[in-house]
Amino acid sequence: MRAALSTIQQTLTSDAANVLNLSIAEAARRNHGQTTPLHVAATLLASPTGFLRQACIRSHPNSSHPLQCRALELCFSVALERLPTAQNVSAQATEPPISNALMAALKRAQANQRRGCPEQQQQPLLAVKVELEQLIISILDDPSVSRVMREASFSSPAVKSTIEQSMNSSTTRSNRQHQINASNVNFGANFAGIVPRIPSNPGLLSSPVGHISAVPNRNLYLNPRLQQGGAAQASTQKGEEVKRVLEIMARTKKKNPVLVGDTELESVVKELLRKIENQELGNDEILKNAQIISMDKDFLSDKNQIPVKIKELGGVIDSKIGAGGVILDLGNLKWLVEQPASSGLSQQQQMISEIGRAAIAEMANLLTRFEGGSKDNRLWLIGTATCETYLRCQVYHSTMENDLDLQAVPIASKSPLPGMFPRLGTETISCNPIESLNPLKATPTPTPTPLPALTRRVSENLDTTPQTAFCSLCSENYEKELAKLAAIKKSFSEAKQDATKTSLPQWLRNVELDSSDAKTTDQSLGKGQGSHSKHKTQELQKKWKDACLNLHPNFHQNKRSEKLAMPTLSMTSFLNPNLLSRPSFQPKLQTMKPIGETFQLNTTPVAIQQLAERENSRPGSPVQTELVLGRKKTDSELEEAPENEAKDFLSCISSEPHTKLFDKFADKLDADTYKKLLKGLMERAWWQAEAASSIASAITRCRLGNGKRRGGGSRGDIWLLFTGPDRVGKNKMASVLADQICGANPISICLGTRRNDGDLDMKFRGRTAIDRITEAIRRDPVSVILLEDIDEADMLVRGSIKRAIERGRLIDSHGREVSLGNAIFVLTGDWSTPDPELLRNGHFVDETKLASTASGNWQLGLVLRDKSSKRRANWLHEEHGSVKSRKEMGSGLSLDLNLAASNDHDDYRTDGSNNSSDLTIHQEDDRGLANRPFSISSVPQELVNIVDDTILFKPVESTFVTQEIKKTMSIKFAMTVDDKLSLEVEDDVVEKILGGLWHDRTSLEKWIENVLAPSFDQLKARLPFGDMSSLVARLVIESDSIDQGKSKTNGDWLPSIIIV
Amino acid sequence: MGVAEDAHNARILGSGDQTIVLAHGFGTDQSVWKHLIPHLVDEYRVIVYDNMGAGTTNPDYFDFERYTTLEGYAYDVIAILEELEVQSCIYVGHSVSAMIGVIASITRPDLFTKLVTISASPRYLNDPEYFGGFEQEEVHKLLEAMKSNYKAWCSGFAPLVVGGDMESAVVQEFSRTLFNMRPDIALIVAQTIFFSDVRPLLQHVTVPCHIIQSMKDLAVPVVVSEFLHQNIGSETIVEVMCTDGHLPQLSSPDVVVPVILRHIRNNIAA
Repeated sequence: MRAALSTIQQTLTSDAANVLNLSIAEAARRNHGQTTPLHVAATLLASPTGFLRQACIRSHPNSSHPLQCRALELCFSVALERLPTAQNVSAQATEPPISNALMAALKRAQANQRRGCPEQQQQPLLAVKVELEQLIISILDDPSVSRVMREASFSSPAVKSTIEQSMNSSTTRSNRQHQINASNVNFGANFAGIVPRIPSNPGLLSSPVGHISAVPNRNLYLNPRLQQGGAAQASTQKGEEVKRVLEIMARTKKKNPVLVGDTELESVVKELLRKIENQELGNDEILKNAQIISMDKDFLSDKNQIPVKIKELGGVIDSKIGAGGVILDLGNLKWLVEQPASSGLSQQQQMISEIGRAAIAEMANLLTRFEGGSKDNRLWLIGTATCETYLRCQVYHSTMENDLDLQAVPIASKSPLPGMFPRLGTETISCNPIESLNPLKATPTPTPTPLPALTRRVSENLDTTPQTAFCSLCSENYEKELAKLAAIKKSFSEAKQDATKTSLPQWLRNVELDSSDAKTTDQSLGKGQGSHSKHKTQELQKKWKDACLNLHPNFHQNKRSEKLAMPTLSMTSFLNPNLLSRPSFQPKLQTMKPIGETFQLNTTPVAIQQLAERENSRPGSPVQTELVLGRKKTDSELEEAPENEAKDFLSCISSEPHTKLFDKFADKLDADTYKKLLKGLMERAWWQAEAASSIASAITRCRLGNGKRRGGGSRGDIWLLFTGPDRVGKNKMASVLADQICGANPISICLGTRRNDGDLDMKFRGRTAIDRITEAIRRDPVSVILLEDIDEADMLVRGSIKRAIERGRLIDSHGREVSLGNAIFVLTGDWSTPDPELLRNGHFVDETKLASTASGNWQLGLVLRDKSSKRRANWLHEEHGSVKSRKEMGSGLSLDLNLAASNDHDDYRTDGSNNSSDLTIHQEDDRGLANRPFSISSVPQELVNIVDDTILFKPVESTFVTQEIKKTMSIKFAMTVDDKLSLEVEDDVVEKILGGLWHDRTSLEKWIENVLAPSFDQLKARLPFGDMSSLVARLVIESDSIDQGKSKTNGDWLPSIIIV
Repeated sequence: MGVAEDAHNARILGSGDQTIVLAHGFGTDQSVWKHLIPHLVDEYRVIVYDNMGAGTTNPDYFDFERYTTLEGYAYDVIAILEELEVQSCIYVGHSVSAMIGVIASITRPDLFTKLVTISASPRYLNDPEYFGGFEQEEVHKLLEAMKSNYKAWCSGFAPLVVGGDMESAVVQEFSRTLFNMRPDIALIVAQTIFFSDVRPLLQHVTVPCHIIQSMKDLAVPVVVSEFLHQNIGSETIVEVMCTDGHLPQLSSPDVVVPVILRHIRNNIAA
């Protein structure tokens, strides 16, 4: 032991050895068996001016209260008390041996000391003496010591770093990095049980001054191996740098060096100037007697004075130059181009650059003035700049380089390691002279970026292959997914374009090339990537092929359907691959439906189709029953009468017993809910049959817990996104939803710039849309909330809604959070792009027009007259006696007799103008449903991805709608009056009715039932007996002259009575 | 260019007020973030780097003593941040780097505004009262296998960890980066990781933590994310994604990237 101790003491400096001896004595005094790190720490603390004590005080977060140190001392003494005393009393004579822990600490200290002095590495082990500081650091690393310190609420890492800093600052005065460290150090006071180690901590810091100053960026946390490399390299490198600078200064042209680089510029200049000042340069150097004038901070403090001061400098230089030349140290050139931090104005910037220009001109004058001097008595300039600064100099002072005879000297980074990557971002300008000088910093050559369009083309090309393999429906789906894939690629390649601009690393480029095609990209990189994308496509192809086989066995027996055109419109909501991969009923239902439709299109004239659709909407229509019964489908059935098409498409679904998913759904399906919902939806917005069934199934699905999983948990809230231009349809659907699900009106909140309702506006003044939503939810957690015009909402609102969708909670502007409960949110937005050609041809009818036709004061009259003659008599113009007030909306309106339905002109005006040109009615074209050139574009994908379902509302074909109305009315007429008598309805009348229907909250059926039918009854009663074949009943518009004074309840647009 | 920046192949991509640090896990390098980075560069200043010991770093710099604890790595992170003069950052750490971030954030809480951990585990070995997913025995076997034939081990380990078959591109990618590591270094790193125990440190975390976890992960059972949630001293939020494997950001970027972005952009609501 003794021998070991003496060996150890040899490795310590006298200070450290002294401490160790004291510790051993202390251990002996306390009769401890071993000398432990705790003893050493206690000893270190005991000396009142001790290094450790000071470090502890400085490190303590709650500033330096002396009592804290006292507490620390107490803690240590308590800890020492707890240590076991030596069993053997006789051992007291001898010194207690050094414990393993202390030995380890000493070895650590030694290792660190050795590591810290690279130039000593060759020396024998014992030559390295451990300094006191190293010993302290090692002791602090000891777990027992750090535990005790923690008890006294000191943090040993913090203390340690303080010591390291003080060591550092004692050696380097101007180490900025460390000052930052010192101010930043904020260790958790209760650093945990594990001793954080910097196993080989920067012992380098205590190494001789010369090296330290060479490496300004000393980093406390740096891997010491790196530090050593850096330091060693830096020192040699700096010598080279200085040599280069001197060479430049020896030239006659371009003799004024500007050191350009990111690090160590100052130190190189300093080194150079030091050498000159100390006359370390050889006698042959022309600079040997040069005087140095520094443009110090003082000089630069007042920018406006700079040019003047430079002028004054001329005199100084004059006086000194005779001695052998003058070197004017310009310092960092950034004062030439940068304004002080306080001023941000461009005007100021302008001024600064003016000053810079003036300064440069003055300096140029100086140069020329002393140019004529003898060879030895010259004026040199020397300066430093970062790459950025230098580039800016070149921009602002384009002639500077020539005027001042400057030569840029690129200073390379310290360690040109293999695989070093140049600092990104600063070297993007390729015509930069620095780069040409510095091969290390060569910018990676940008690879050509494929245009998004090319990517798209590729995917189109690939499309053609699979189409024979699966049915048109699946191929459609496939194409959509492919398109999505392509879109992802596109976004990637777009990102890539950006990325290349900022010169992304190689590996990142690789991945982006991933997403583009081999042909379009850099050959060296593209090959593998291209095949990768092809592979993806093939995978997709396979997936759909399988899906198709499963889904459409009929297709594979009967290729006929291949030819059928697919309705492009209905698909959007099912394209989400997430949806497809999720066990849910929805995709199945939806993918089958279009088949039904296409068959229908093929076999039936449009008119019958309409009839059939109307029938669907009737109570008790086969749609609802068939869904539950689930009849087996045969091919022949598909070609049956069009009335069966609804059955067909539903039975399509049930014809797939092998789809477990459906079975699962069918088991769980609350058939009643679905039926009721669909019925209601169809009734009110019968022109959106497809959307209605989508909504119904989406709601059912979500209620069954098959909605999109957001945020992990199952949630009660449902988000639907209604897209498309059919504002009215969307609103109607929403109100049906609200009625059916929570028996109330939907809460409509407009997120866009529009305002639908005057009084709503008043009520919510001063509150944000989000606040209104939260309030609505708070009032009734089970409600249908219609959020209109999300497409027009501002970023903020959209953001919070998105977050709400994701998280299931909504935060209002006061920061209060509300759970979304079981509310159903209906987001509406248009996003449609009407075909411009059709618009020009007048196929699109402005909704304003429609609304205005309905909004005038109009009254319907039923006129009986001769087929041939003009309007015959006025005797039929009798007012209908009964008032029909419709209660279904609970508006409880009471109507005056003879009251025009919609005279709320003012109300309407707001509405109409707000809705201007939004709702477009698409005229019937021969192409039918399938090929309608209508696309919902640019629905933000992010939104589509997070909502439970997206439902597309097609633009409404007015012809279809008119015909529908006419048909319904004539059927009714024929039923109630007489089938011999025909009902004539003028187109403008229908238009009015349509307009009314559009805005009213009633349905056509109800209106006919409640209003038209009684009038027919009346008419019947009044019909003259006799030959009626010559008579025709006309539904005409009566005068617009009806009393306007009576106000009408908002929301009733259809006449409630008809004058017979 | 600084020393640490250099040795760790640190790269600054994109620009923005907020700095994001992406830290990769064992057996990978910064390329593991390739799917995520394009979505960040427009909005953020992104710093990526390689952990010491990764295949892309100089093995000479691998200090076998320094890297026997996760602290060594944590100091590397801080060194890089200091060198790049990063004042604060959002740290996204995958696997072991998540824990490295935890340690770094305890050491220098001022540098981190938020931690996003992906597939993180404070302790891989099982305890009587803790389920880390591995038995001591298993780990020893694993390390033995590593020692005896690194290449064979890689090809066996990669598909397990990624959760795909050998042929899939992701597994190939992972085995590439895994095999890039020098075997002896890989062994030390694996040893350090498997025997690390960051649990006692968790309560000292003061920076908000977003814990993202794959539903099925061979290396990290889902319960671990709950453990983190319970034990991390700061505010935490857990999101379990319906993904498979320990490298979800590589194997299913379409799911993971949006999730990560969301956690980067949004903070835990008070």
